[in-house]
Amino acid sequence: MLRKGLRHLVVAGAALFFALPSTFAQSASPSAAAPDLTGVWMIDHFQPALFPKGTTPPFTPWAEAQFKKADTKVNDPNLACLPHGIPRLMFVPLPMEIMQVPDKVLMYQEAGNQLRQIHMNREHPKDLDPTYNGDSVGKWEGATLVVDTIGFNGLTWLDHVGLPHTESLHVVERIRRVDRNTLRDDFTIEDAKAYTKSWTASQTYTLKPGWEIAEYVCDNNKYVYHEK
Amino acid sequence: MFAVHAATPEKFNTSRGIAVTTKYFIFFFAIVTSLFLQPDAVFAHHSTAEYDMTALTTVKGTVTQFEWSNPHAYIYIEVKNDNGKTAKWTAELASLGMLARVNWKRDSVKPGDEISIVGNRARNGTNQMRLNKIVFADGQELSAEVR
Repeated sequence: MLRKGLRHLVVAGAALFFALPSTFAQSASPSAAAPDLTGVWMIDHFQPALFPKGTTPPFTPWAEAQFKKADTKVNDPNLACLPHGIPRLMFVPLPMEIMQVPDKVLMYQEAGNQLRQIHMNREHPKDLDPTYNGDSVGKWEGATLVVDTIGFNGLTWLDHVGLPHTESLHVVERIRRVDRNTLRDDFTIEDAKAYTKSWTASQTYTLKPGWEIAEYVCDNNKYVYHEK
Repeated sequence: MFAVHAATPEKFNTSRGIAVTTKYFIFFFAIVTSLFLQPDAVFAHHSTAEYDMTALTTVKGTVTQFEWSNPHAYIYIEVKNDNGKTAKWTAELASLGMLARVNWKRDSVKPGDEISIVGNRARNGTNQMRLNKIVFADGQELSAEVR
């Protein structure tokens, strides 16, 4: 009779264990170990030029020639509704929502409703097919998300005024939640074919509780004709 | 519209099966991508460099069209000059998500509305402005500043 009672106790104990939400909580939300960057974030100030007037990027001759040809009304890649690429996508004056799942950090940008995937469970594949936004992998260093991105196709501007880049672009970001309402992304840009040395940029974001990412379909096809 | 075939496990056991899946995937992506490759659609998040940000210009006229689309909404108005001639003006606004956050809607202005558009005029002197606000005939204002 005691043995039978013990069996019931074990079964009841097992049932209770599996019923407890905490047992499986880690699969439903960022694990207890990962810092929480989630929320809807908006840049706190717009920086159309990452090198403001009076400063000079460390251009190679090729890059300087490219930059001189840049014309926001004529040859900005955005004029064809093409992706902004990295880092420009992180500087747009539109909100983004950061979501975290066990193997990815996702950044859903209102700009073009583009989804940026930062893979947390792997390294860069060999022989990456070059893409607009590159391949991003991330690791936690304490409370900082360190993101490494390579594999760019060179077809975007690095900022809103025309900084060029090549397929050799390598972007490192250090992203951390400064306080509950503030997120900061520090960028290091490296591209030996376009810049003689690496350079840095930074963007701070403010939390927007209650904001939802709106639909953004690029369906306006008359912009270039508005001069009339 | 998009036929996504639920494959049975057996289909993926061969390299040929995987090639078939890849083809479906590429096909799906090609359709989605082609929807975005309309050459005239624009994205540009440009700076305010093309506008005179030091002064505000006010123009009063009749709305002919309110274009509610991304990346920018536009208000087109017709202005009657003193000599009886009409001029067309274009006011550029922010994207729809940002406008909605400051209470704009697709029918905030309608063709026929008599309004004043207030904004930063294009540096090149054309009849274009980056909208700051509109003023309705009854004096009510609606700000277009989103940040």
